[in-house]
Amino acid sequence: MNKKTSGLIPPGLVYIAGNIISKHNILGDSKGSGAKWAKDLNLPKEAETIFFAGCGYQYISGLESLSSLIRGMDKSVIGAELPMSIAGFQKKLGIDFAGIYRKVSARSKDSDAPPLRDAVKVLSNLGVEFGYLADDEPCCGGLLHYIGLQKEFVRNAQEMYKKLKSLGVKRIIGIVPSCTYTLRNLIPSCVEGYDLEVKHFLEVVLESIGSRELRFPREVKVTYHDSCQLARYLGLIEEPRQILKAIKGIELIETDWTKGEWATCCGGGGGFEAVFPELSQILAVNRTKELVETGAQIIVTNCPRCIMQLKDGLKELRTGGVEVVDLAQIVAMAM
Amino acid sequence: MSIFTDYKKEIMDAAHNDRIRIALSRAIKSYRANTNNALRKFPHTIKMAEEVKEIKEKAIGEMEKLAQQACEAMEGNKGKTYIAKTAKEALNIITNLVGKGKLIVKGKSMTGEEIDLREHLEEHGNQVYETDLGEFIIQKLKSRPMHILSPAIHVPKEDVAQLFSRITGQELPPDIDILVATARKLIREKYFQADIGMSGANVVAADTGTLFLIENEGNVRLSTSAPPIHIALVGMEKLVPTLADAYRVAEVTWRYANYTVPSYVSLVSGPSKTGDIEKVTTYGSHGPRELHVIFMDAGRTSLAKHPILRQALYCLRCGGCLYECPVYAVTAGYFGDKYFTGIGAVWAMNSGNVEKAASLAYTCLTCGRCKVRCPMEIDTPEMIVELRRLIAEGA
Repeated sequence: MNKKTSGLIPPGLVYIAGNIISKHNILGDSKGSGAKWAKDLNLPKEAETIFFAGCGYQYISGLESLSSLIRGMDKSVIGAELPMSIAGFQKKLGIDFAGIYRKVSARSKDSDAPPLRDAVKVLSNLGVEFGYLADDEPCCGGLLHYIGLQKEFVRNAQEMYKKLKSLGVKRIIGIVPSCTYTLRNLIPSCVEGYDLEVKHFLEVVLESIGSRELRFPREVKVTYHDSCQLARYLGLIEEPRQILKAIKGIELIETDWTKGEWATCCGGGGGFEAVFPELSQILAVNRTKELVETGAQIIVTNCPRCIMQLKDGLKELRTGGVEVVDLAQIVAMAM
Repeated sequence: MSIFTDYKKEIMDAAHNDRIRIALSRAIKSYRANTNNALRKFPHTIKMAEEVKEIKEKAIGEMEKLAQQACEAMEGNKGKTYIAKTAKEALNIITNLVGKGKLIVKGKSMTGEEIDLREHLEEHGNQVYETDLGEFIIQKLKSRPMHILSPAIHVPKEDVAQLFSRITGQELPPDIDILVATARKLIREKYFQADIGMSGANVVAADTGTLFLIENEGNVRLSTSAPPIHIALVGMEKLVPTLADAYRVAEVTWRYANYTVPSYVSLVSGPSKTGDIEKVTTYGSHGPRELHVIFMDAGRTSLAKHPILRQALYCLRCGGCLYECPVYAVTAGYFGDKYFTGIGAVWAMNSGNVEKAASLAYTCLTCGRCKVRCPMEIDTPEMIVELRRLIAEGA
């Protein structure tokens, strides 16, 4: 990024872009630290079909801490811009204050990443054969595209494709909607000869599930939140509902208007939360309210950023007794 | 970053303003209900929107030709026509026509807002009455419009009562009927005293040179027919080839603006005339004796050449997208410039305000619900990412 041209990009986004470019993950953590969740799962590293875990879930607790830090600053008289610019600058000098803060405050939950572990469990259970690249998994770089750094995005995409090809990858199962869309729809238009087959986890589940019986351990009312990327970008609206409806014990109650292609955005994603941390939280609260009003005990969704936002919304609303989980977790529990 | 910092402060103040949020949550609810109802009642609208999209896609590529054609048709109808390459040119043409010290009644026009037309006329010593109720409120509050169709969408009735009490010197209650009647009384006589009436146009048929003016209040009818001179400022993207095309554009526009049918649609093709005495055509019978139409380019023809950003020109200005934007729902038009939300960023860029465009472009969530609502299926997220690219690359 040259300094002159990036002058109008908000500092929060410059910071994220820097992380992707220098560390190959949106958090800017050291290489491979996102792979801890799979340590004891013995997933093969070499495979034609790989499970693409994505930054969102692999670094979720670090991202949560960072979000809450910049939200705090954004609400204070300091604002988020100056600290984000300073953080970006310090990183160049080799001091990573945001990273230090994250390490201190993150509740060692990185290694859990329940949606990822459950997704893996579900796929294995359904007899799908796949591997996981672990510390070799590259960042899809989707955010570079959304930030406007198209040249950097294309460069990242080309390097990534080369790497995946050299590792013998032919098919990708994505779990994060945004990574899946990037790999399936954005990258093919800027990488010559791109021939990877990309599917979202839910599509693979639907293909493989057949007539298997799914039963949730208890009777429960759930509502479903469509993420923008899964519903409006990837067009997967009926698929998650089909799965939810097939699970015995689950009663699906939906918002009357804001569902499917009309779902309200959680206020995160696309880097918005790094530019308008406080506004992003206001939008999270609004969306959470719509979902809570259905009377559901569980909000099911499919995107790490949505999960962070909706959890934050519940906290702000002081709504107890409502959980937010990824659909993969629900399916795992129902198997 | 100073424009961004000021903008962010403004948008956050709005986000903390409960009145804006309450006013908008009501407006969104009734917009959705009304539009669903209108589309259910007239289901052909959806197919018609597809046809209109084709009409617009084509027309946007030939705006200059259509403008030429419309000018010829209107001149044939004894109207006077002008093509303004820039906003400044448009203002100069209007200043020359208007002169100084005139009383002007004006219908609401986004194109007028785009070039600060009212402010310009006032600076030149004219008295301008905004006749649309919402716009009148905004003018008197010295505020700026917050929605393209309902400019005062963020102002509750209590604030209107206070404002009108100050204007009339009478204590007025926050009763909407009384407030509407007050505005009627305040503006009524101005139509007949005015030297000039001004309007925009929702769509223009190039073959007949006909302006379509869609409204509910009746203020546009009065503004464009009572004074002796009518001046219309039209963005070139409003042009379509035929009268039949224009009719379809109009119907889709009002339907997605949540109306089964508006109270009034005026079709204006020339000045008022009569031949009732000895078949001698004489101008200025009951309506205006002069009609002046200015077609304004102001970046539109170059915008039309951009493969992605040209979509902004398909916009019918129905305002539907605004009700679907989660950010707009808490900030109203503060997420905007002359035009609002994500698509507003494209217009800010088009008018050369790059910093404002950047601020707006990075406020868009790229969530894409506006696109679901849009009868023209304008892909605002795609335009926003392209804008960000242009901004990042310093283009």
